[in-house]
Order: sequence, then structure tokens, then C-alpha cells
Amino acid sequence: MLKAVRDAVAKVTDPEYPEVTIEQLGILERVFSSGESICIDLVPTRSGCPALEIIRTDVLAAAKDVGATSVSVKFCSDPVWTPDRITEDARRILAREFFVVIRNVDGSSKCPMCENSELENRSDVGSTPCRSVSWCAECRNPIEVIRR
Amino acid sequence: MKTWESLEDFEAFVIDGGIVEPSDEMPDVYRLAVFKFIELHANSEYMGGLTERDWIPKAPGLHRKLTALAKTQDEIGHAHLLYMIAADLGVKTRDEMMEDLLAGTTNFHNVFHYRVHSWGDQVAVAYLVDAAALASQQAVFKNCSYGPYKRILRRVIAEEGFHMRNGEELLLTMASGTDLQRTMMQDSINRWWLPAIQLFGPDSRLDDPLLRWNIKSERNEVLRDRYIQKFVPQLLNAGFQVPDSGLYQDSETGRWCTSDIDWEPLKATMRNGGPDSKRRLSDAKAAWEDASWVRDALDEVVISK
Repeated sequence: MLKAVRDAVAKVTDPEYPEVTIEQLGILERVFSSGESICIDLVPTRSGCPALEIIRTDVLAAAKDVGATSVSVKFCSDPVWTPDRITEDARRILAREFFVVIRNVDGSSKCPMCENSELENRSDVGSTPCRSVSWCAECRNPIEVIRR
Repeated sequence: MKTWESLEDFEAFVIDGGIVEPSDEMPDVYRLAVFKFIELHANSEYMGGLTERDWIPKAPGLHRKLTALAKTQDEIGHAHLLYMIAADLGVKTRDEMMEDLLAGTTNFHNVFHYRVHSWGDQVAVAYLVDAAALASQQAVFKNCSYGPYKRILRRVIAEEGFHMRNGEELLLTMASGTDLQRTMMQDSINRWWLPAIQLFGPDSRLDDPLLRWNIKSERNEVLRDRYIQKFVPQLLNAGFQVPDSGLYQDSETGRWCTSDIDWEPLKATMRNGGPDSKRRLSDAKAAWEDASWVRDALDEVVISK
């Protein structure tokens, strides 16, 4: 049962990036048994993220779909989410499908369209608290950058 | 950089599914049309964000306040992205677009020219209006010939899909509430049904250049009808009535048919002569002036960097 739940929950997609799973984004921390219950620990990208309730609902539904009856979903404050938890596959999908890139540790970022690495920061916060907005003067597209 | 010999060449390229990039030598008529379309979209996101903002303190419960806050940030964020690519087209600067919007010389969508009276109205906006806006954006995204716009729409649609789920949840909560809540919701549906279906606009002209240049991919009446076929049964299933005395279901095809729409009031509304246009614009102006110190402070930070 534990494995079935783990597999099902890992496939839950993010409400804002429908092609990317919560596992790929590093939101799924662990799935374990505690007595009769199955516990699912999730790591929020931002503690005030408005999508958390939807993610919780989707995770519960996925676990119940494969037959789990007693499930508890918890958002943990430890570990802390960082963009380093996003898998390579997810990075490719985010860049290709959504034109969203991840800020490197040194603060730099690269345009997913033309590879230009001289992006101009236009706003520290974009349409969500986890993204900033840059402008690529090479291909003249706005690029959203996942913040650290 | 792509160039075209003539408007006919350009049209053949676009009809064939070609994507126009900002550095391409696009015909002026296309540049202007795509600019105006994006400016209208940007203005609407901005005005929509301000409406949503009004509900941050008033939404019932912390969770819904948080959602209102997030949706406000989404809408303003979308406007920000759209104003960037609109300004890049070189027709108007971003400041000029803001000045024109606040002066009432440019347009924003009809649905933001009405007053949101109650929480029921806010739910009707989230459920009916957000879904109509999403349907029309999806139709633009499908074949959109202007590259930067198509890319932004991809993200906008993903985020608006999230708003729509929120709208459905809010409506079902009202539907399963007390008699008082259901009555409040029905009143709100009565107020917002017509503005929502009018969002798609009157039937498209046969020679609509927006369709020919793949800025839009589907005719207004097609989108409107698809919306009606989806939302009439949804509202009825949730126990509400559709405020249209002429509504009937064709017994042969099963399709829902609505009364003819009088488009005259919409024309006035779109010229900022709608029921709440004046107040909306003066609120937007006040918000713009209130935030001037933030813009000044940010400019200083940029200069000092």
C-alpha cells in the first residue's frame, strides 16, 4: 500500500505548471506509515503559497484513489525548499513550456529562448512570490525567474 | 530577422502558422493590431487586479483573503508582462499606456465596468467571468502568430486555470450554503451572466483582420456558444437559474439557445460609459497616485545600483 500511495502521490502535478509533478519540483518530501495511517510530508516552496490547499486536496485524492483510507498530509517547515530541489527534467519542461528559468547560486540566469545570460531584472517579484521578472534584450521576451 | 515582400506574403506566412518575432519587419497594420490587442488585455488584467484587491480585506476567512491576495498578484503580474511586450512593439511607451488608461482614452474589458456589490458578486466574477476570460485567452493562445504574446499566454492560462478551480469551489460552497447564501448567489448570477457572455463580443466580422492574422483563432460567436453550452447545465446542476427568459434547450440537438443579445449597451460600456466605469477609473487613478512613492523609491534603488 505504501508504495502504491507513494507512486500515486508522486504523479500529482503542480496547479500552476500542469506538466510538472510535485516530486519533480521537490515538494514531495516523504511518504511513510505510522500505525494504521499513511503520512505524507510536503515541503512548500513558499510558506504563504496560495496553491498549498489545492496541492493538499490533490495529494489526498491521489492517495485515496489507490485505496488508502487513513491519510495525513503535512506541510513541513524543515527542510526548507530551495530551487536546487527541482530536478533536471522539470527544469527542461519549465524552460521549454513556460519560459521560466531558475536563478543560479551566483545570481545569474539564462534566457531559455536564446541562451543570452545578460538578463535585465525588471521586478523582484512577478505574478507569484516565487518568481521575479527579467527582460531578455536579445530576443525581446520577458522571462520569469524562480527566486532563491 | 524575417522580412516580407508584401502584405500578401506576410499573410501567407501567418496563415501557414508562422510565428512573428519582435525583430521581424512586420507590416505596420499588423504591428498596430497586435499592439492594440495586447494593450487591451494588459489594461484588463490591471483593472481586474484592482477589483480583486478590493476583496483582500473583505473576503470571508483567512484562506480566502490569501487567495484574493494571490489572485491580485497574478493579475498585476500578468499586466506587467503584457505591458512589457506591448511597449516593445514601439507604438506607445508603458507610461503612455498607463496615462491613456487612467485618462479613459483606451479600453479595458466590459466585465470591469460593473460594480461588485457583494461576496456573491465576487464569486460570480470568479466563476463566470474568469472562465469566460480563460476561454477567450485559450483561443488566442491556440494559433497566436505573435511569439512573445503566445509565450506569455502559456503562463497566463496555467495561472487562470488555477483561478477557475477556485471559482468553482467558491460557487459550490455558496450552492451548498443556507437559503440566504443561495439567494445572494442567484442575485449575483442574475447580475453577471450577461456581462460574462458579452465578454466574447458580438459576432465576428467576416473579414476580421485579427482572425486573418492569427491573433485570434476562433470567432467570437463560436467561443460564446461553447461557453453557453458548458455553463448553462453547470449552473442548473448547482441548483441555480440562468437569468434569460428566452432560454430553451433544443429537443433535437440538445443545445441551449439563448435570447438575442442587445449589443448597444456594450458599445457604450467599452467607451468607458458603463455603470461603474467612472468609479473604477477614479479608483485606478487613486491607486496609481498612492503608489507613486513606491515607484520613486524603486527608481532611486535602481539609480544607486
